[in-house]
Amino acid sequence: MVNLTIDDKKVTAPKNATIFDAAKSAGIKIPILCHDKKLHPFGGCRMCLVEVEQMKGRLIPACTTPVTEGMTVTTTTPEIIKARKMVLELLLLKHPIDCPVCDAAGDCDLQNLTYEYKVNINKFTDEKFHHQIDYENPLIERDMNRCIHCGKCARICDEIVSFGAYTFINRGIEAKMGTEYDGPLNCEFCGSCVSVCPVGALVSRPFKFKARWWSMTKTKTVCSYCGTGCQLTLGVKDNKVLTTIYDENQGFHNGQLCTRGRFAYQFINSDKRLTTPLIRKNGSLVEASWDEALSVVAEHLREAKAADPDSVAGLVTPRLTNEELFLFGKLFRETIGTENIDHSAGYAHNALTSGAMESLGYAASPSTIADIQKADLLLVVKTDAYETHPVLGFEINLGVKRKDIDLRIVSDKRGKLSKLPKAKTYVHKPGNEIVLLNALAKSIIDANLVDASASNLPGFDGYKQSLEQYAPGKVAEACGMGADEITSLATDYAKAGKALILLPLGLGYVAHGKELAQAVINLALLTGKIGKEGCGVLIMGEKNNSQGAVDMGVYPKAKRNDAATILDSCAAGKVKVLYVAGENPVVSYPNRTKVTAAIDKAEFLVVQDLFLTETAEKAHVVLPACSFAEKDGTFTSVGRVVQRVNKAIKPIGLSRTDLEILSSLIGTLGGATYTSASEVFAEIASKVSGYQGFSYEVLGENGQIVPVTTKAKFVQVEAAPLKEEAGKFAMVTGSALYHCGTLSRYGEGPMHVCPEGYVELSRQDAALLKISENDVVNIKSSLGEIKLKVKVDVRMPQGVVFAPYHFADSSVNTLTDGSKVNWVTISK
Amino acid sequence: MSNAPAEEQTTEIDLTAANQVIDKYLTLPGNLMPVLQGIQDEYGYVPKPTIDLVAERLNVYPSQIYGVLTFYAQFHLKPRGRFIIRVCVGTACHVQGAERIVDTFFDKLHIGHAETTPDLRFTFEKVACLGACGMAPLAMVNDDTFGKMTVQKVEEIIADFSQRPMK
Repeated sequence: MVNLTIDDKKVTAPKNATIFDAAKSAGIKIPILCHDKKLHPFGGCRMCLVEVEQMKGRLIPACTTPVTEGMTVTTTTPEIIKARKMVLELLLLKHPIDCPVCDAAGDCDLQNLTYEYKVNINKFTDEKFHHQIDYENPLIERDMNRCIHCGKCARICDEIVSFGAYTFINRGIEAKMGTEYDGPLNCEFCGSCVSVCPVGALVSRPFKFKARWWSMTKTKTVCSYCGTGCQLTLGVKDNKVLTTIYDENQGFHNGQLCTRGRFAYQFINSDKRLTTPLIRKNGSLVEASWDEALSVVAEHLREAKAADPDSVAGLVTPRLTNEELFLFGKLFRETIGTENIDHSAGYAHNALTSGAMESLGYAASPSTIADIQKADLLLVVKTDAYETHPVLGFEINLGVKRKDIDLRIVSDKRGKLSKLPKAKTYVHKPGNEIVLLNALAKSIIDANLVDASASNLPGFDGYKQSLEQYAPGKVAEACGMGADEITSLATDYAKAGKALILLPLGLGYVAHGKELAQAVINLALLTGKIGKEGCGVLIMGEKNNSQGAVDMGVYPKAKRNDAATILDSCAAGKVKVLYVAGENPVVSYPNRTKVTAAIDKAEFLVVQDLFLTETAEKAHVVLPACSFAEKDGTFTSVGRVVQRVNKAIKPIGLSRTDLEILSSLIGTLGGATYTSASEVFAEIASKVSGYQGFSYEVLGENGQIVPVTTKAKFVQVEAAPLKEEAGKFAMVTGSALYHCGTLSRYGEGPMHVCPEGYVELSRQDAALLKISENDVVNIKSSLGEIKLKVKVDVRMPQGVVFAPYHFADSSVNTLTDGSKVNWVTISK
Repeated sequence: MSNAPAEEQTTEIDLTAANQVIDKYLTLPGNLMPVLQGIQDEYGYVPKPTIDLVAERLNVYPSQIYGVLTFYAQFHLKPRGRFIIRVCVGTACHVQGAERIVDTFFDKLHIGHAETTPDLRFTFEKVACLGACGMAPLAMVNDDTFGKMTVQKVEEIIADFSQRPMK
């Protein structure tokens, strides 16, 4: 630590701090335009000039000057004020004074500083810029006439997003912030550049002319898309969520968001939202009152319960709050008395519910998000983590670039993070992850790199023996890798002081759950990498509350109650009443034809959702539910963080929160009702293991981590190399960049970046089939046939094609049956 | 200006030479500049497809390459003529009437500053100083210097270089 004096105040700062950081930590404000705490110092704007006693004779930029022992800093003198005023005058020389129509007004650093420094006249005159405004995309408007050349957009796009859309182009007075070929912006549209722009040069188009910044109410909450658990600030006016507001101090991610977090909030106030309950009368859904709808539902539930409780089943989305999921469990288990409840765990979440549960003794990740930055090596399995959890992708990216963390990606295709320096991607044949992971374990054993702690764990000998058949030399070919690649990856992992494995899961990656999780946990146990800082396994749930749904016990305790079996029972007529809350099985579950047939067979289908989804269209009663912005409650995200969700707007139309709906059904059927989320949370705190002692006050702004106690053991995971079908393509499904489930289809951001389904194939295959980008091809599997647009990408290996699952039209689940790899033929 | 965005490429660019240049410098740290210079030597300018190729093979953002190319005056994004005519408009030449020389070239060649004739024979550039103020007004065609320029000499130079072979 270094001691210095700033404005007569004694300040202590870490030795790598700058004067700006030290002043900020001491509560002394130094004005600045080109700084963001996430980015490297730039020293471009010259607003942060200060005087340093020991460096007399010139003004010193506070943001790039490191603190030294005994430094005496003065942040405000008449000379400094004069210099800062001049900086502002020079900026205002070119900056148009169009504040009345600028969306940044009120939140504009230049405007605020001009006001603070009372720059009401300018001693210079010059012409303004005449740059063309970029209106080419629906999300980010670029008005380079307003740009003050702070370079923050280029830096965040490079340092954190690693897309590199921006750069300074040209030179001297002609220099401006531009893109490749000075063309329109064409990127992933995460909007990070918009968030850090100190002026209105980059503005969000969906928010344009919607509200003045100061007229909005700002509510902090948690994003409702993926499981990362990013904190959000919603800007609200007239009961409408109009934008998301950047706050560099929010969450582990420091306000950084992806396109869904930033640009996909429109589903909240979408005019497609259900605003009233619907009841099927004479074959069509007609509007009804809540009383009528709820009494019909209650009656059917009561009748079915009386006949056979197991003729009722519930499927719920892990997008609901913990409180609602808890009540959903209560309604089915306690009030109705059936175990038929699932949140697609069998398809997509048994990595937690069975995998981690059996191997570690709890259904959660042993590691937390903070471990990413503390690791020496990150091993990402299945995808590069970026396309499923973009903000965790940013974290990985930061770790690799700033902390020199080694990144190893083991996947059936390359990803964006494969391009990072120090990233090594091992592309293996699809469906052979487990064989490969076992081969890694075998290789670790053969190289005597097993940690001393491993042999004391239960199941070690059996596990060790089971690995005999996975010698790298034997299985390398089946994995599509060299034996030496397997051994070098194994050595890197085992020898890394701290290594963290990241494993995404979700409906895009069906059939990869339990065994995959256990195989990676085995690997971590073998090398003594669980239960230590910067080590372990981070299982990344697909939805915002995937972990919460597991914690609340909303998953089947036996195979006979899982989603797939429930749908089979529906088809067989055993399940008569199907209650679907927020799920959209028709689109998101594998084997669409079968799922649709099963749902059609249900005698009584209740769907509780925000939208009239493909599943809701088939319902007998549709109950309009509230979005996360209309709710209080909690989400539990990746790394077991429980965070508060805060109500930002009143319910849309007549919609009710899932909590209200479930509570009133429980009440009607004879159980106790609840009036508030906090009341339910109090019950959760008393009943759910790990949540003891939690209350909304205890959770605070940044949430709390659910504690776990590991009782680890080795579980043998057997897998035979996948049989390939000659002449066919291996189709793998997954998440398209920035989409999440089927909800993101109602958000502008993801729908601009990726508006429809596609199939991605390698350049070589495209050339062989004489197919080019954007051609429409027929894809045929044993189950069905669909048409999809083609994307040709270098990241795909030959023989493997990728298709995201989110879309209803040409739904890829028409082709899938829930197996690891679907064999398809492609023709023009 | 010379660094204006490249126009749409109408003809296919053969990337073999660019690949060879990249191969040559692939392992050299800080290889972007020599690669771009090498490509410009091969093609006479830096064609768009080569930027995408360099971006992919050197793992550099295309935007950053574009930033480098527009920062340095030495790089050209449009095809250049066989003969580069440079007329000095620095102080000494300006006083000696360089503007008339410039205007005459514009008139005769039907191109403006930093433009190239459609037959790719001539590229015209105004430059700040060629370092031979004693001979003002001054013009250069490739490496040949022409001092004490007159309107008459402009016509002679154009006539002369119009006869010369393109290769």
